[in-house]
Amino acid sequence: MNFTDFLVNMLQSGLGGLAAYLAAHVLLCLLPAFFIAGALAALLPKEVITRFLGRETPAWISYPASALSGFLLAVCSCTIMPLFASIYKKGAGLGPAITFLFVGPAVNILAISFTGVQIGLDIALARVLLSMLFGLLIGVLMAWIFKKDDVAHAEETSSNQLFSTKAKVPTHIIVFFLILLGILLAGTLQIGLFRNVIFEFVLPGNWAMGLQAWLDTLIPPNPGLGIEGVSVQGLFLIGLLVLIGLTSIKGFKNIFEGFSAWTYVTLGLITLTLVFASFSVTTQSRGIVIGLTGRLLTEIILLSAIWCLGAKALTAHERQEWLWETWRFVKQIIPLLLVGVFLASVARTLIPPVWIQTLAGKNTLWANLAGVIFGVFMYFPTLVEVPVAQTFLSLGMHRGPLLAYLLADPELSLQSILITNTVIGKKKTAIYVVLVSIFSTLAGLIFGWFVR
Amino acid sequence: MNIKILGMGCPKCKRLETVTREVAEELGIEATFSKVATMAEIMQYDVMTTPALVVNDVVLSSGRIPERDEIRAWLSKAHQ
Repeated sequence: MNFTDFLVNMLQSGLGGLAAYLAAHVLLCLLPAFFIAGALAALLPKEVITRFLGRETPAWISYPASALSGFLLAVCSCTIMPLFASIYKKGAGLGPAITFLFVGPAVNILAISFTGVQIGLDIALARVLLSMLFGLLIGVLMAWIFKKDDVAHAEETSSNQLFSTKAKVPTHIIVFFLILLGILLAGTLQIGLFRNVIFEFVLPGNWAMGLQAWLDTLIPPNPGLGIEGVSVQGLFLIGLLVLIGLTSIKGFKNIFEGFSAWTYVTLGLITLTLVFASFSVTTQSRGIVIGLTGRLLTEIILLSAIWCLGAKALTAHERQEWLWETWRFVKQIIPLLLVGVFLASVARTLIPPVWIQTLAGKNTLWANLAGVIFGVFMYFPTLVEVPVAQTFLSLGMHRGPLLAYLLADPELSLQSILITNTVIGKKKTAIYVVLVSIFSTLAGLIFGWFVR
Repeated sequence: MNIKILGMGCPKCKRLETVTREVAEELGIEATFSKVATMAEIMQYDVMTTPALVVNDVVLSSGRIPERDEIRAWLSKAHQ
């Protein structure tokens, strides 16, 4: 292979990876997930959960409540550190604070749905369940190891009124969350109800065959490496996404001054993208076969419901906050994610599979430890751990070590270790890091036994 | 009047400061604004989520950006 072929090969792998991330099933997961994350940050009163994190709350309530708040409140990094510090210093103490810190980065709505749709539901569920379980265990262990410090602490801080504020989530907000979740599930779950084609029709289109053939030479599908290639539908979706990207700059930037025409255009395009992605479109010799699926019907019903509820039940302030938070997540995550996906896919052609297979091809203690150590020393921006994991998977990494890596990477980066250090001190941080490493390794090992 | 914005520099904190400044100007209130941006200092107040709005050393909101009308009511009350 000469150098030009090598470069072309690398570029194709990178583009193929990008295309796979912009495919219909990913959009149906990722777009709703961002809106849910935005809604959690904007519409959920934090007091709903924080009132269970006070000093007086019994441990059997405060620990699970910490794990739950890791899931519901930690979507924004500006919540994690202050909440962690105040649970530790003024609230339920070291144990629940650690549980919260552990669960947050691994079990937020974006990370889970993304892992589920890209790597598999098994790893996504394992990520949720094992993070919750081990978060609780590590919290309890830390509280037990530093029992003396915590008692001294409790006497120092008697103010409990901070955690006594109660809040209720209004019914319309709960319904709003449920419908958003419904949109995510209807788009993501691969079950017969959603997949089966109810009715199909054929559009004449010889041009589509030619277009598909051209797309296949541009980005050759390679199922062995997990490269799906680009379909004609995918091409239209990418076009829509570019349009959304352009209109959103005008539509969301000044959202606080109210909804402009651009805002409606952007929201309309996003809705259209979700609907269009729910069609089953295949290019065959008889033309473009378009199938109406259960998924399509469900999405249309739920999207209409969200539009109605958003327009009627939410106040203007709530609507603006929601879209602003969503927009912020998108701006913060998507550019880095696209770069990350591209580079991770390029790396797929550079790393010899035999390296990964020797190091982590089997579910051994060392393989899992290698996954964890890689996770600690490599810092990837939010969500980029997923394409990185996918690259490892296509190069032959076992799913056990893969989970160990996916648990350790968002938990332990040098950056997060330093911040934790400022709140709880060197000694506790060191023990925390050791515990997380041990438990992530164990989690991978146990999960690895169950799969194959 | 003494207005403090508690937060470690996240976009929400900046947004809260902008809105509060605008409201203060609207009401013609003379206020000194200060940012409380280190964890240790933030922990001196009874808040667990940022951004928080503190007027004359009373915590008025935390973890959210209040509506303009809310802020207006708080500021005009504190001004009396």
